[in-house]
Amino acid sequence: MSLTCPSCAAGETHSPCRSPCPRTPRMGCRTWPRAFSGSRRPPGPFPCCLLVLLSRFLWDHGDIAFAPLGKLMLENFKLEGARSRSKKTTVVSVKRLLQDLDGHQPWGCPWAYLSYRQRRFSILGGPILGKSVANLLGDLLHEELVMRWEQLLLDDAFTGGALAWVPGKTPRVGQLVYPAGSTLDKLYFQEVSLTPGGNPQVLRDPGHIQLRGPVRQVVTRTVQGESLLAVRSDYHCALWKVSRQGRPAPLQVLQVEKGATGISLSPHLPGELAVCSRSGAICLWTPQDGLRRVYKDPDTLVFRDPSPWRWADFTAHPRVLTVGDRTGVKIVDTQGPPGCGLLLFRGGAEASCQKGERVLLTQYLGEGSPESLHSTLHLICTQFSLYLVDERLPLVPMLKWNHGLPSAPLLARLLPPPGPGCPRPLLLGGQDGQLQLLHITGEEASTPRLAGPPQSLPSRNDSLSAFPVLEPKSQWRLQERLKAPTIGLAAAIPPSTSTPILSLFQLSAAGDVFHQCLRLQADPGPDSCAPTVSWSPQATACCSQWLKALLEVPPAPPVWAAPTFSHRRLLGCVEQREVEGKVPEGLRAAMAEGRLLQQRDLGSLPTAEPPPAPEPGPDDELSKRLEAAWEGQAAAWWERRQGRSSGPRQQPKRHKRRTQLSSTFSSLSGRLELSDVTSPPPSPDPEARPRPPGTPPSQELAQEHWARGVPSERQQTLRDYMAKLPLREDALEDASAPPSQTSSIRATRSRQRTLQDNTAKPPLQRDTPEGAFVPSSQTSSIQATPSRQQTPVLSGSQRIRKKPRMGF
Amino acid sequence: MQKSMSDFSEELIKSTTEDDQGERCELSGTGMHFPWLQKHIETVATGGKKEKDFAQTTSACLSFIQEALLKHQWQQAAEYMHSYLQVLEDSDSCKRQAAPEIIWKLGSEILYYHPKSNVEAFNAFADRMKNIGVMNYLKISLQHALYLLHHGMLEDANRNLSQAETWRYGEKSSSQEVLINLIQAYKGLLQYYAWSKKKMELSQLDKDDYAYNTASQNMLDHSWKTSVNLGALIQIPGVWDPFVKSYVEMLEFYGDQDGAREVLTNYAYDEKFPSNPNAHIYLYNFLKREKAPREKLISVLKILYQIVPSHKLMLEFHRLLRKSEKEEHHKLGLEVLFAVLDFAGCTKNITAWKYLAKYLRQTLMGSHLAWVQEEWSSRKNWWPGFHFSYFWAKSDWKEDKALACEKALVAGVLSGKGCRYFRYISKQDHQVFRKKIKRMKKLVKKYSIINPGL
Repeated sequence: MSLTCPSCAAGETHSPCRSPCPRTPRMGCRTWPRAFSGSRRPPGPFPCCLLVLLSRFLWDHGDIAFAPLGKLMLENFKLEGARSRSKKTTVVSVKRLLQDLDGHQPWGCPWAYLSYRQRRFSILGGPILGKSVANLLGDLLHEELVMRWEQLLLDDAFTGGALAWVPGKTPRVGQLVYPAGSTLDKLYFQEVSLTPGGNPQVLRDPGHIQLRGPVRQVVTRTVQGESLLAVRSDYHCALWKVSRQGRPAPLQVLQVEKGATGISLSPHLPGELAVCSRSGAICLWTPQDGLRRVYKDPDTLVFRDPSPWRWADFTAHPRVLTVGDRTGVKIVDTQGPPGCGLLLFRGGAEASCQKGERVLLTQYLGEGSPESLHSTLHLICTQFSLYLVDERLPLVPMLKWNHGLPSAPLLARLLPPPGPGCPRPLLLGGQDGQLQLLHITGEEASTPRLAGPPQSLPSRNDSLSAFPVLEPKSQWRLQERLKAPTIGLAAAIPPSTSTPILSLFQLSAAGDVFHQCLRLQADPGPDSCAPTVSWSPQATACCSQWLKALLEVPPAPPVWAAPTFSHRRLLGCVEQREVEGKVPEGLRAAMAEGRLLQQRDLGSLPTAEPPPAPEPGPDDELSKRLEAAWEGQAAAWWERRQGRSSGPRQQPKRHKRRTQLSSTFSSLSGRLELSDVTSPPPSPDPEARPRPPGTPPSQELAQEHWARGVPSERQQTLRDYMAKLPLREDALEDASAPPSQTSSIRATRSRQRTLQDNTAKPPLQRDTPEGAFVPSSQTSSIQATPSRQQTPVLSGSQRIRKKPRMGF
Repeated sequence: MQKSMSDFSEELIKSTTEDDQGERCELSGTGMHFPWLQKHIETVATGGKKEKDFAQTTSACLSFIQEALLKHQWQQAAEYMHSYLQVLEDSDSCKRQAAPEIIWKLGSEILYYHPKSNVEAFNAFADRMKNIGVMNYLKISLQHALYLLHHGMLEDANRNLSQAETWRYGEKSSSQEVLINLIQAYKGLLQYYAWSKKKMELSQLDKDDYAYNTASQNMLDHSWKTSVNLGALIQIPGVWDPFVKSYVEMLEFYGDQDGAREVLTNYAYDEKFPSNPNAHIYLYNFLKREKAPREKLISVLKILYQIVPSHKLMLEFHRLLRKSEKEEHHKLGLEVLFAVLDFAGCTKNITAWKYLAKYLRQTLMGSHLAWVQEEWSSRKNWWPGFHFSYFWAKSDWKEDKALACEKALVAGVLSGKGCRYFRYISKQDHQVFRKKIKRMKKLVKKYSIINPGL
């Protein structure tokens, strides 16, 4: 099925297959492809091939390999149920051992890596199990650690981004192409219609193509009316032609043995594709000539850097490519003699680079059409700065700007100008979801300039405040979900009659697609009203639906967590002390599971009136109580207090206290959030206090129970606070209900106000679109949620990377 | 003064400790710096020690300022800045040393955009910052002058630069040297501006006027000062286009042609300078003004052709080559035209297509088929898709019929009558272009390098 390319050396990187039709996976043939080929490992006592076989045997038939040893060692282990209380040090309790391996730390110290039992086990087992097993495991562990460490430093797999916008028949309709599924191996085609209002409409259920590996990069180009789509996986690249109806037709699949690091499509000639491999080779695939290697250099360009990352892009000349690695970028003529070229960018003095600065992304900014003003400009991003380099004047950057992104800028998109004479927006996306918007202006003759100060756009994390407040665990899950790394960025400018709109799509590693709509703001005066930053009703509905789906999925059990303090021991103590049965079973169960306490866990506790808050004035109860507590007579004091206040309730006083407290609270929060204008003014009448409409009184009762255990003087505050929170089950279903809106509006207005306060009179001509954040997940991502939640995407993709399957 | 003395000694210490800081984030052993690593593994990076409260506060404050700037909240940024100033009192000398530059960068940006800021506020801030630490004096002075220039206050800018020019501290370091040169060059540029304004005035005056003499005397004084100021900078390797241009203009005005030529030749050909197409363009324009011989002009443009084959001047280059008597120049003329049309930015350049159509005919008439074939052999596998596709035939005919006709002729000559572009255009029926298309068909039949008959 796969052909080896004649122009490549034997065993060289690419071999084209005929079509990307799905095939059944071939399992097991490459279980640990990199474990025994790495050069850093010195050759062991076994020949390599034997080691591979042995490892496979141990891995696949552990029962056969280890059972005899287990039987031999039976006397050294105490199995469950065996009651022998042997004091011999040569006997290990299996139950305890498993507990240890589970993360149970008897000393309660997370940094104690080894318990004495594990040490004993290793001493016992060492001579019997032999070196080979330990070596194998050590190798695997080492490899895993190296990979994790590299990934933590910089995960460059998604450089370029895995989300693309393919324009359709009309300018208003297009397709979003992105990977989904637990291992990102399904390529989805979602038709989207852009409305003039800026709310994209998902047209129908997305179609998808099942691939054989995780999709890392999706690239699209429309050249001479033909839309092309290229996809990079770890070891394969594929090319499709998208018809005007939006149907993808496969053109070519390329296999990259050493692993592909980047692909790009030619902006000049339809279907030309440049592929970079970890081996340092750059190949060009053209429909006429097929695959051809145009460059090969295993070393880096300027100085030695260990990263195998390579990148290639096109230039203003269709037969000249840029070749980039971490140290620099070179211009290479594919028709000239191999090896020659001119350095376009060098991490060094010309660009006044910092120490340790490396290239993370290079991109050709021209579009191939002669109308484009920047047909010779290239964008180069490093950890610190962004450079614009003109290929006619290599080495000396035309523009340098310190982006200050707190994560790696692996995504960039230059967009067409939103209107005639406008500067071109350049979007820069950090891996952790930060987005920056720059405006680049300058005719072909003059140097490119930044028009106005760059701007950061609201990130996904900023939308957290617009969601209703959830219980802490759900809130945490939502937060984690929103925090997932950005792996794709796409933008479209729908033709609109009035103000130009920029539709921005983001793909997160969790598989969600977010949409953001930016409106061009025409030169706001200092007194002009700040634009609204808000969610549309559809977006709110969509988000609440998405959130509901997210929270319905049971949280995935952690694959492995760092050992923490043992709580089992503590629980045991509690159980023994509270044998009297005062604490209901439910409470204990909830604590054991680490769940949030709920009404049903607490059972039917005696429903006493909540203790009233201390009264100010001459009869200072708080100080009395503290005094009693100091003397160890708190209980007696409490009893006295209970007896006294059992008389008629002093309603008016309570109201007064409550309003006093709430006013201090609101004023405090106002000071904290700078949004006192929006928080409801404290009203003297308690009945007029804002309260979520439709909240049944029982709800408040439940909250009272929830608040039990809180010191009495805090309860009032807590109750006031709780009343403001939309802590209702149905808050999500009824998205337009006031409680959720109040929270979102408050967040919006606070932003609004700060904007209003600080609308600057710009000294430069400025057309900056102001951000309006509308995250909306696609229906597909919601549907795909359950399956994805079972295995976290990241660990899934790692596993896939270790076991790359052959073919798509 | 005492304070700045102690600052200076600390700055000397800083240079040794700075490197240790840089190592902090390079935990991979690859030499790459990871600014985002700190937050992932704070305890590892700081060796288990927690940052002091003060350091935490100031770094949080710094990130707030940066965030506010990126959100264009100038007011808020200014408020945070107010608090951030206390970093100047940091007990960590490293941080204290780095602070003035950060404060200057962020502070000047805030003051540049802040709605209530004015020039006075900026001046006061800049003057104060210049004297905190000594290392930033020149840099801040230069940026201050640029700010004043941007606000049209040329006199103030000039005064500022003059002040900075005479400033010295300790032994002249190489970085100081470059900065002082830059400051002088900007001062020279300002003087050039004043000079060229005077030149304008002078050109409007009558030569017999009494005022003329004093004005011209004035100009002479100016030029001498300026040449001193500009001359130093352009000796240093770099890209100094505006300085070189104004310097040469003044030299030329006073008749120092040799001086001007030397400056331009040096700027274009000195190998220490980065490759700069503008340097060759300036030299070419100068030689053209000087009415230099064609050979000379061709040799300058030949180098420009190697650097930027898509430049506008290449069509002029082609004309020069066409007029030349040498055969190798005629061959190069064809090469130049093909090379111009290789570039994506030149595909719709009708002059280039016209030249190519005409020159192809001329070359083939001169029985130099081999030249054409040589050029075409490296392009025949991608020019048809790049230039002569059906898509372009349709869109060119719709947008620019004259261009379409020229391209069709070239397409027909190079890839024969079967070429899609040629076929599409030759089938068109248009009143104005009917004659042209007929002629085109005849020419293609006669000269096409692909002859199916043979």
